[in-house]
Amino acid sequence: MTAPAMDVSAQPKMKKPGLGWPVILIGSILVIVVCLFPFVWMGLSSIKTLKELYSVPPIWWPAVPSLDNYYKVLFESNIPRYFLNSVIISVGSTGLALILAIFASYGFARFDFKGKAFWQAFVLVGQLLPTAAIIVPLFITLRVLGLVNTYWGLILVYMIVTLPLSVWMLTSYFKAIPVELEEAAIIDGASRMGVLFRITLPLSLPGLVAVIVYAFVTTWNEFIFALCFATDSSVKTLPIGLAEFSTEFNTDWGAVMAASVVMTLPIALLFLVFQKMFVGGLTAGATKG
Amino acid sequence: MKSQTGLLFALPALIVLFMLIAYPVAYTGLLSVTDAKGNFSGLDNFAAVLKPKVTVQAFINTIYWVFGSIVFQVVLGTLTAILLNQSFFGRGALRAITLIPWVVPGIVAATTWAWMFHTEFGIINYMLTGTGVLQNPIGWLTNKDTVMPVLIAINVWKLFPFVAIMVLAGLQSIPNDLYEAARVDGATFWEEVWYIMLPSVRPVITAVTLLLVIWGLNSITIIYAITRGGPANKTLITPIQIFRSAFESFQFNQAAALSVIFFAVTIVVVFIYIKVLSAQPGEAK
Repeated sequence: MTAPAMDVSAQPKMKKPGLGWPVILIGSILVIVVCLFPFVWMGLSSIKTLKELYSVPPIWWPAVPSLDNYYKVLFESNIPRYFLNSVIISVGSTGLALILAIFASYGFARFDFKGKAFWQAFVLVGQLLPTAAIIVPLFITLRVLGLVNTYWGLILVYMIVTLPLSVWMLTSYFKAIPVELEEAAIIDGASRMGVLFRITLPLSLPGLVAVIVYAFVTTWNEFIFALCFATDSSVKTLPIGLAEFSTEFNTDWGAVMAASVVMTLPIALLFLVFQKMFVGGLTAGATKG
Repeated sequence: MKSQTGLLFALPALIVLFMLIAYPVAYTGLLSVTDAKGNFSGLDNFAAVLKPKVTVQAFINTIYWVFGSIVFQVVLGTLTAILLNQSFFGRGALRAITLIPWVVPGIVAATTWAWMFHTEFGIINYMLTGTGVLQNPIGWLTNKDTVMPVLIAINVWKLFPFVAIMVLAGLQSIPNDLYEAARVDGATFWEEVWYIMLPSVRPVITAVTLLLVIWGLNSITIIYAITRGGPANKTLITPIQIFRSAFESFQFNQAAALSVIFFAVTIVVVFIYIKVLSAQPGEAK
């Protein structure tokens, strides 16, 4: 123990040991290449002609970028229709999940009631349930309700994937807002609903954005429920459309890559714009509570 | 009076989840002990699904898939988190880039990697043979020894970002005086990693690992999109077996019996997960 180190105010900050800059640089480059190379290759493949795609050895850059694959995907396939279906289903289920989660989280965050711990655990279990174990009865249930191959069927089923984590994230956001603000408003004569919509919700905007991004991304990407419950092309979503391009023996890789780009762009944009709020909302529940 | 209000707020969400979860789970139980006509058949369905060798193989494949994925996801994710926890120029951008594999659709990841692993025209075989690592191109996705490791690698690529971001959040909540105490004692960086960072984020890693087990048991997309369980059932995991027996062979009752067994295993993991979570200090109540 050295004497100067004791006098914190007079001493300049102690040198922080860390990774050396070569390690940081190499590590960063490695992470960037690993994470992004598949997308670079996807983009390059989507603008190659058939001949360039199927050449040995592979060509890195296409001689002349060709938009044929995009033309095929956008005008000669069902992809635009599936894109529309995906938008309708993702927006619908995100909206429904948001409304249900706002009320449920507010109930969990602000009130004590009998069996609260049980119901909170029940919501969490929903997130952890093996999907494969419930597709059969879900399918039968939807068939009885006449909801197989409808937008509503998928929107409803997607509550299983989006609602639990949404409730979890929003509950911790609501808890972080000082309850005194609400009490003051109630003394001034505001109703519970008024308090929720005029005070709590505006203050938890980052949490709401995190929930919206999470719910939209998850439903946009969801594959297995869509595969089981949407078999008609009028309701099929993009992931199913993409899987359709590749059959066992013949895959049009150029079109698949172009469709992948079309499908990834909205998600990438949404994520890049909101990434700070999204990460904040996601990790808040795990580390702070 | 007050006790009613809270429940009222939560009720709509609870009803929806109850309808979509509790009812199907109960119904699966019922289906598993009845035959196609709805008559009670005891444990016949269970016997029918447990008899074929393929069920056992699927169980083993599932364990291989889940544990093979998790080891690399946790190790690579934690290393990335330690990197991202350093302060350097462009850290925010790097964090965003790291998350991209996790955010993109699983089906896009699956098809893009399948194209890159293509035997004849794939870029990976080209790079490996071009640099002399391999003499001849490998049929990564058709060779029964390489297909599972390749699928695991794709799954690791897809989910290590999630581990990284969660562990990073844990690292950033470590109080500064812990580091300062270590620096007074002259600790090196790797000693800090070993004696401060890893012990501090152990609860996060435990929680994330269990979550990964559950997701691993749930994952169908990557394997289904690339191999559908083939070649020769080498990549057939139980969720895909359930899916195929229900929607390809239309054996709803046998699929249900398999679901019940699978469900029992998963619920044990979920139970441990919740116990661990609630044992964590400072966790949301």
